[in-house]
Amino acid sequence: MEHLEKLKDIWKNQGDSIIRFSEDDIYKMVHKRSSSVVKWILIISILEFVLPNIFFLFSDFKSTKEVYESYGLNNIMLFYSIVHVVIILGFIYVFYKNYRNISADSSVKNLLHDILKTRSTVKYYIYYNLSIAAVIGLHVFYIVFNSDEFINKLPENTSMIGIWVIAILLFGIALLMFWVFYRVIYGFLLKKLKNNYKELMYKD
Amino acid sequence: MTKELEKKFASELEQNQSIIHKVCRSYTNNSDAHKDLFQEITIQLWKAYPKFRGESKFSTWMYRVAFNTAISLYRKSKRNVETTQIYDNLKELEFQDYDDSKDKQLNLLYQAIYSLNDIEKALALLYLEDKSYKEISKTLGISEVNARVKMNRTKTKLKNILNP
Repeated sequence: MEHLEKLKDIWKNQGDSIIRFSEDDIYKMVHKRSSSVVKWILIISILEFVLPNIFFLFSDFKSTKEVYESYGLNNIMLFYSIVHVVIILGFIYVFYKNYRNISADSSVKNLLHDILKTRSTVKYYIYYNLSIAAVIGLHVFYIVFNSDEFINKLPENTSMIGIWVIAILLFGIALLMFWVFYRVIYGFLLKKLKNNYKELMYKD
Repeated sequence: MTKELEKKFASELEQNQSIIHKVCRSYTNNSDAHKDLFQEITIQLWKAYPKFRGESKFSTWMYRVAFNTAISLYRKSKRNVETTQIYDNLKELEFQDYDDSKDKQLNLLYQAIYSLNDIEKALALLYLEDKSYKEISKTLGISEVNARVKMNRTKTKLKNILNP
């Protein structure tokens, strides 16, 4: 064990750590948990964007294309896809910027501002996702329900109003589930941000 | 919690931060993780600060909170140690004269500690700090006898890592 005893000398003679924090750093640290929350918002939003697209890559392109073609949805789906990807990438960029801002050393005042900004970005993100889903859904229903392909398959005397009611009802439930999903995931993170905000307000 | 208390806390922590840095360096293997752990320990210390009544030494209390935080985070993440790289580097330690670059030796010592398990890391650190078994038992919340037994095992393990 003599060897270990010698190590004690090395240990005791170690100087200050290369990483050192000032009093002010520590003061801020106590309140600076937001960066990890914002990091999660960024990660989840990216996953949410990437995972369905990976799934799409492995799906049967040909048959999807055939279905789109038979109802005349090709152009409209392409249009929505492009718009959606551009907007989502924009959101991810803003989330990333929020994360960078909150992680970087900023004053408490800036931090408060960044937290508020992140909270509102997340809210817009949720509203956007639900709205685009609703718009695309209704538009697709409209085109499909008016296509010959669809109408020809219907039994005679089928009420179109009935079909619309059922479609909207089911679609509404799907959107509601979407909303609950967002509330659970982002709601949890937003609450953490809010608590931190309150603590910071109290400090100031 | 008043502003004065926050100021007092920040000032005391600033003066005693080397303790936390030692813990962070033993439980992490890069500066980002080190800073993250430092911040987490700081937050936990701050939460526990109003309850600290000076019954034990400030450093003992800091060690206790720091180890608890590091161990619980370590268990959560279960980050794997890059053992091959560490063992390769460790071989250099025995061939070095002790008057050689101290920084390098210290670095290798930290790598050896990092390769221990979570409790052993704490024990190795407290051993190097020359803490009494009484203090070790208080810090880690185990009996003195248990601390002795575990310490002997840790020392043997550390010795084997350093002299494979």
